[in-house]
Amino acid sequence: MDHRMNRRDCLRALGLSGLTAGLGWTAAPSARAQGVGESSGFQSSVIDPRKVQDARTAATIVDGKVIQPQRELPILHQTDVLVVGGGSAGVVAAIAARRAGANVTLVERYGHFGGLWTGGLVVLILGHIVKGGKQVCQGIGEEMMRRMDKLDGAIIDRRPGVNPTVDAEAAKYVMVEMIEEAGVDVFLHCWGVDAIVTGNTVRGVVFESKSGRQAILAKIVVDATGDGDLFAAAGAEFEHRSHNVGLVSRIGNLDRIDAEKAKEAPKPRRLGSATPAPGVNWVNLTGPEVDGLDLATLTRMEMNHRKFIWKDVQRTRQTPGYEKVYLVETAPQIGVRITRVLNGLNRVRLSDLKAATKFPDVVGVGGASNATHGEWQIPYGALVPTTVDNVLASGRCISMDMGMADLVRLIPNCFVSGHAAGVAAAVAVQDHCRPRDVDIAKVQKILRQQEAYLG
Amino acid sequence: MSGPAKPNRPSDTTENTGHRRIRWIVRGICLVAAVVVLLAARQTRWPVVIPAMSPFIAACSILATRTFNVIAVLGLAVGFIAFWRARWFCRWVCPLGFCADGVSRMGRRCGRKPAKRLSVGRWIVLLTLAGACLGYPVLLWLDPLAIFSGTFAFAAWPAIVPLLTLLALSFMWPHIWCGRVCPLGAFQDVLASLARRIRRRTSEGSPPQRWSLPVARRTVLGIGAGAALASTARLAHRPASRPVRPPGAIDEPGLLGVCIRCGNCIRACPTRIIEPSLGRHGVASLLTPVLQFRENYCLVDCTKCMEVCPSGALIRLSAEGKASKPIGLPEVDMNVCLLGADRECAECRRWCPHEAIRYVWSESEYTLIPQIDPQKCTGCGACEAVCPTKPKKAIVVVPLADSPRG
Repeated sequence: MDHRMNRRDCLRALGLSGLTAGLGWTAAPSARAQGVGESSGFQSSVIDPRKVQDARTAATIVDGKVIQPQRELPILHQTDVLVVGGGSAGVVAAIAARRAGANVTLVERYGHFGGLWTGGLVVLILGHIVKGGKQVCQGIGEEMMRRMDKLDGAIIDRRPGVNPTVDAEAAKYVMVEMIEEAGVDVFLHCWGVDAIVTGNTVRGVVFESKSGRQAILAKIVVDATGDGDLFAAAGAEFEHRSHNVGLVSRIGNLDRIDAEKAKEAPKPRRLGSATPAPGVNWVNLTGPEVDGLDLATLTRMEMNHRKFIWKDVQRTRQTPGYEKVYLVETAPQIGVRITRVLNGLNRVRLSDLKAATKFPDVVGVGGASNATHGEWQIPYGALVPTTVDNVLASGRCISMDMGMADLVRLIPNCFVSGHAAGVAAAVAVQDHCRPRDVDIAKVQKILRQQEAYLG
Repeated sequence: MSGPAKPNRPSDTTENTGHRRIRWIVRGICLVAAVVVLLAARQTRWPVVIPAMSPFIAACSILATRTFNVIAVLGLAVGFIAFWRARWFCRWVCPLGFCADGVSRMGRRCGRKPAKRLSVGRWIVLLTLAGACLGYPVLLWLDPLAIFSGTFAFAAWPAIVPLLTLLALSFMWPHIWCGRVCPLGAFQDVLASLARRIRRRTSEGSPPQRWSLPVARRTVLGIGAGAALASTARLAHRPASRPVRPPGAIDEPGLLGVCIRCGNCIRACPTRIIEPSLGRHGVASLLTPVLQFRENYCLVDCTKCMEVCPSGALIRLSAEGKASKPIGLPEVDMNVCLLGADRECAECRRWCPHEAIRYVWSESEYTLIPQIDPQKCTGCGACEAVCPTKPKKAIVVVPLADSPRG
């Protein structure tokens, strides 16, 4: 932009800023904006200042307490199925519900799809196989993998019995492609903050965005927030648990390690594992067990982890042979594993994994992280809150005991529970019934048609 | 105690052919029954019967462990009959004797001659009984029923070496085993001669001391040597080489003596985690039961191995008793553990039946470290069995005394 500014404008701007600097304020930004506007022909239209933030409903202080006045929220949209959260569970849920015939709207707080899978750089598809190497994660999750197979540099280790690793950008791309093909309405940059409830029935979601606080009305809401933000807001019973909060990073130039020099010293510990990008590894970080909903904690974790990762990579660089290794990036999204866990009509239990229990209302089959055990089934009841209607849980916040948390939260298992929630929501809309009353056989039939594996 | 052992071999001159045939049929049935029990009924309590029939094992077990196991009644009953009819057991029941007899006959047919003066059976009995008094029955594992049972230990071919050796010896020098070496036979001879002595004393009313000097010397020598061996074995035992033993195992040096290597526990284990030691833990440990948790672990409510132990090497504990007497304690090698390399893994924590494992955050290492609660841990090995690292497991159960926390 500056190159468009002519020399005189530039000098004028500099001189002006030099003069005003002593007065404690600067006119430089306005000078530059003027310059840009003049030379580019850019026309900035005036937008109603009350379109987003209306000062008439600003919070105020009453008796020392901050009070938000009662106000009407604009209804942005009405839909059959509203999926809140565009992570691995939410994206699959939205596509599944749309393919099952419902009108679907997907809202996501960040600017891209994938949640922790892409934004959190959890690029390892850990948990889609079981002992013996059989792949249990099928359906839409597997379809994404197949699409990535066809893209160059999108996925590695796609062979039987191995957990593949994807490229986060390829995953984001494939999800955009599939969401658009399916015809899902999407609102990015929307943070679902509240449930709209009448009695025990969820009627929609209030969300916050740069466009202000708005509402979307829906017949069924799928809570794919990971943290169970929506079912909690709707008053469903849940357990609030602490778990490890970490931060993934990627390091580069691993193909430029001097193998001869590297023999001199012990190998650095945190080198991670390969990604589709040549010479780039992703490095996990488990992190301490804390409350992943606590603002101060999250802030501390973000800062501590980034400090640690930077210093750790510097340590790696000081190891003979590893001088060229560098930190590509830390994940934009912090790795919160488990926070709220739904109290559902049923739950995913460790005892059922050990006993290999088969549920008549199975809607998904989960795998093992290190292929050390067999498959386990997700009963439909694990997605359905006990007391609140028209909201279904999916992803890492479904009803489970903590012994299963480290399996339920894995990416492919989120695909599976998302798939189930999406189809069940569509069936509930179609049959005009509450999610707890859906025809399980019908849900299972559609899931099978969509190539899900149900054991 | 006088004279050499009575030859056990069927005396062709005194025994008529019909009687002999019946005896061979009975022994054949006993042999088949024993094999069936050891192989087909290995998951039941029945295999304990076979080694438990030996009065030699019963006596040594009671002396060495100073406990009385109900199953010892069987052995004592057999011994009791021997007071009147020496070696009836050898002649009618013993499956190993039957095998040895068969091979001996083949040897004789091939022109092999029985060994002349070599009779060690009584020495073995003396040594072992003396050792048993000190908690270390030196050569108890030479009991024929133990050797026979031990042959059928699965997945460990060296377990059949003792039987093969014995049969080879029987071929080279026919009848060497039953007549001259077998401690079970010799023990019955001792019992029978004791009985004769008592009977003679009560019937004749003669003065009690009629033992000739060489016999007395032999007895004293045998007992002395046994005691010396037992003490040496106990003192020379190095705890550093200790393996993980099945639940209920008595103290390590004692186990080396009391365990008769019958393989009952190995066969009974439903998860097949017990295997015979094949030399990794020293010569003294050969064929004793050791635990390995490569694939499976010691089930919380299982007490099978203790139920089938005939010698008292494994004390009978209830499931609760087993929990309060840990097999060992796991140790974690953070250089191998996936958590040490910041990989996602929660296997040992998930599968621990006692919720004894926690992952504790270390701020200095900036990683999670598995921590085991020794109060809750029973050493069952579930953590080791599910540990996904290869080839070395990151979490390994070690015997309690070896563990720094133990």
